[in-house]
Amino acid sequence: MSDPLDLVVAQIRDVRDELVPLLEEARAARLARSEEPGADSGAVCAWNHFENIPTFFNWNNRPR
Amino acid sequence: MALVNGMRGLSRVPSYVVMQPTTLCNLDCAYCYLPLRSADRRMSVAVARAVAADGNEWARHGRFSVVWHAGEPTAAGREHLAALMAPFSAGVEQHIQTNATLIDDAWCEFFAARRLRVSVSVDGPPDCNDDRVDRAGRAAYPRIERGIAALRRHGLPFAALCVVADPRPGLAARLYDYFLDLGCDTLGINVEEREGVNGRDNRHDAAAVRAFWAELAAAWRARPRLHLRELEWSLRYLDAVLSGTADDLLPRQLDPIPTVGWDGAVVLLSPELAGFTDAGYGDFSSGNVLDRGLSELLAQPTGTRWVGEFVQGVEACRASCPYFGFCGGGHAANRYFEHGRFDGTETEHCRNSKIHLLEGVLDHVRSTRPGGSPDPRRA
Ligand code: SF4
Repeated sequence: MSDPLDLVVAQIRDVRDELVPLLEEARAARLARSEEPGADSGAVCAWNHFENIPTFFNWNNRPR
Repeated sequence: MALVNGMRGLSRVPSYVVMQPTTLCNLDCAYCYLPLRSADRRMSVAVARAVAADGNEWARHGRFSVVWHAGEPTAAGREHLAALMAPFSAGVEQHIQTNATLIDDAWCEFFAARRLRVSVSVDGPPDCNDDRVDRAGRAAYPRIERGIAALRRHGLPFAALCVVADPRPGLAARLYDYFLDLGCDTLGINVEEREGVNGRDNRHDAAAVRAFWAELAAAWRARPRLHLRELEWSLRYLDAVLSGTADDLLPRQLDPIPTVGWDGAVVLLSPELAGFTDAGYGDFSSGNVLDRGLSELLAQPTGTRWVGEFVQGVEACRASCPYFGFCGGGHAANRYFEHGRFDGTETEHCRNSKIHLLEGVLDHVRSTRPGGSPDPRRA
């Protein structure tokens, strides 16, 4: 992997063992949050649609 | 490696529209980018109607929101805001980004009755809000706190946006604790940006910014009760890389995110450019909804010269930056206010808020290795 564009992906793969537990915790945390009463009416704002859309539009070009 | 997909050109349908009910803000924060914030220029109902003509249609086919922002929307008053909201159908989500200082029981009833989702701007505990003052120079924090207390009294969920002027280790954990106590359910962290009329320097020590994000990741991990935007995005990207799906993560096209100014003028991609003029680029606007419908204005976005230049900048990012799959190519306003043009790539903003963010989260991950081995590239 010598393409400089691959450098970031390579370092992510390099920490796979430590990353996997964190990603599992994040999944569990998401579930816990959406189980909270009233979560349907949560304040997840337009700049943060991404619990509901797969495209992450609001990460980029969000209002500040 | 194949170039990362996504973010190719602009979508014709926005996921949300930023609407400026008034240019006025009752505060005068040191870092604010809004040029007309001391004048009360109000949006007419005709402008709202023109936007709703397309917005109601978009909401029939998918999720679509209006965000009342860019000025302090509550400074327009309930009656006027209600009149502007009225043309939008029930299918359109309505959001308000507010400094919270004017929120009282009557506003809370208004939010609840209209299902207006609230996001407050607060920068952390009182001493982190020194930049937030009114025109007499008085600290805004006590009023922000009162407004948030009203939201809590009424049981209204709210999000929070926090501007961090000086990201450094020691601050992140403190901020996270503060927002846990505050009771917001969603948090976004914005490292202060140089844009609009805010010309303050936003260069920071790279190691300090990275350590800030690493500390925030650790604080969040200990008590992951908040939806922390920066962490969520980082973790989803990291997850996608490990599972080989990173190429599906970015939107296929850029969201045009029109900002509709008080007078109906439309600026694409960056609310921070609304109300600005430049000798070369003009007023950045792509037209006015009182002359042509929003969907018509979105049909030829690159007809506006700077937008075409910005799309070239995104392509330059794609071709040159190993963080593109995470970042998606940065923001138009940061490019303009840092480089004076739109077709460049790296900015201070993208280093602070994208590159150091991802690296900081990876630093946190590495610190959990047996022996906590550091980043090999820093050794
Ligand atoms: S991190 Fe900076 S240089 Fe890289 S894609 Fe994003 S904006 Fe472009």
